[in-house]
Amino acid sequence: MEVLILLLMAIFAILSSIATYLAISERDLLTAVIYSAIQSTAYAIIFYLLMAPDIVLVYIPVAIGLYPAVFTILIKKSERFEVKEHEV
Amino acid sequence: MKFEQVLIAVIVVIFILALSYAVALGAMGHDVPPLNIRELARNYLRLAFNPWKQNLTVMSPEVVTSVIWDFRGLDTFFETAVLYLAIIGTVVIYRGVYTASKEVVSNFDTLGMSPIAKTVTRITLPLVLATAVSIALHGHLTPGGGFQGGSTAAVILILILVIFSLHFSVRKGLTKNTMLTLRSLGLLGISITSIIVLILGLITGCQAFIFQNQPKAYSPIGLPASINGVLISGTLLLFNIFECFAVATGLTLTFIIMLTPESEIRSVMSGDRYE
Amino acid sequence: MNEFLITYLVGIIVVSFFVNMGISLYGIFAKPNLIKKLIALTILSDTANAFAILIGYRRWPPGSMTKPAVFTDFPPTPDKIETFASVAVDPLPQALVLTAIVIGLAVIILLAVIIMQIYRTYGTVDTRVISKLRGRKHE
Repeated sequence: MEVLILLLMAIFAILSSIATYLAISERDLLTAVIYSAIQSTAYAIIFYLLMAPDIVLVYIPVAIGLYPAVFTILIKKSERFEVKEHEV
Repeated sequence: MKFEQVLIAVIVVIFILALSYAVALGAMGHDVPPLNIRELARNYLRLAFNPWKQNLTVMSPEVVTSVIWDFRGLDTFFETAVLYLAIIGTVVIYRGVYTASKEVVSNFDTLGMSPIAKTVTRITLPLVLATAVSIALHGHLTPGGGFQGGSTAAVILILILVIFSLHFSVRKGLTKNTMLTLRSLGLLGISITSIIVLILGLITGCQAFIFQNQPKAYSPIGLPASINGVLISGTLLLFNIFECFAVATGLTLTFIIMLTPESEIRSVMSGDRYE
Repeated sequence: MNEFLITYLVGIIVVSFFVNMGISLYGIFAKPNLIKKLIALTILSDTANAFAILIGYRRWPPGSMTKPAVFTDFPPTPDKIETFASVAVDPLPQALVLTAIVIGLAVIILLAVIIMQIYRTYGTVDTRVISKLRGRKHE
């Protein structure tokens, strides 16, 4: 039914909002990357329910595979934790 | 997760539920989502696979791929140019830096991660490569296409680089120069496929356009839509094959450059190389 | 009742996308760490693409459900093509979003390489410390 598909879309949209807030407010950068990948998974399910299968096939390798790989290499080569106040 | 993070997340959810009630009372208009799509989109849906209008059709049942490579082919040309400039930009920044030493490393067998990770990667490598090639080759019949297959293949190649270490992969042939050559061959294939009907038209004396796929109103020449009853949709199959090749090798090239060891780059930056 | 429920659920999706955009915009200009800014930029560009695909959706026509934009009813006759055009979703936003995702990937890869080079030159990825250094290399 139409209402059921829109209900599933709304549930995953709310899940993506929670994951976005947790990703931005998290101080450990590796955990923030994991939250960003959870948000991308929620978006991939929303794209599938919106009847866009080409976009799902692009979005899953790019946003769940390549972006966390880029960020993990970047974090490994620099610092892992965000500093709140910096003593001068 | 701390207590205040959970509290603010719950407040965000309640805010969304409350604000959307106010929005649904009329702020978005009364036709969202609409019952009928736009006239332009309906024309594209009617013309993508229509054997009765041979002058306007693409002969491919997959409408999104036919919009990307035939109806709006120039958009894809510029997108390929932007991706090419980004990859060449990263190659140019690290010119003169050797990505991995080609000499014999003493503890060659202990490079990389544990045997469990290596065995699992060896099993999933042919599975993922077969899926990626299948997605790319079926791009004109089912959802898929060149870029989808190329990025899936790039994911498994990057996994090989990380699990068996970079030194091992360079020794087995997955070097920066190989990836650069293969990417250039893929881009050459794309650019030749975009003007192939023009070249055929110049040879046989007919008029033809760039990015042409099927015969149009003033140019009776085009690539065949099906061979022996199998649908290949003209230039769409060639575009998908070359795009998969170019994207997979291009993204792997960028990751080879990002994984260069720090000691190598610091010795280039501090000027120890030219003594 | 059914109509209002459908409008309410679409309103939840639209407001949630707006909240995502707001949170990621805040993350870009308020967090001083360069890597956190990059993560917020990916979320912002993904949400903009999701908006574009949401515009292409359509309501269920009376009698059948909406289908994706792939023609599956071989062999084609003119009224099968007409039925397909009145049931499928809009294919144009999907083609444009495909281009936008590829361009976003190119920008993020180039920015990541530049951030690595900034860390090697200045020794930190904190913009407050870098702005105080005013161009001197790291000690």
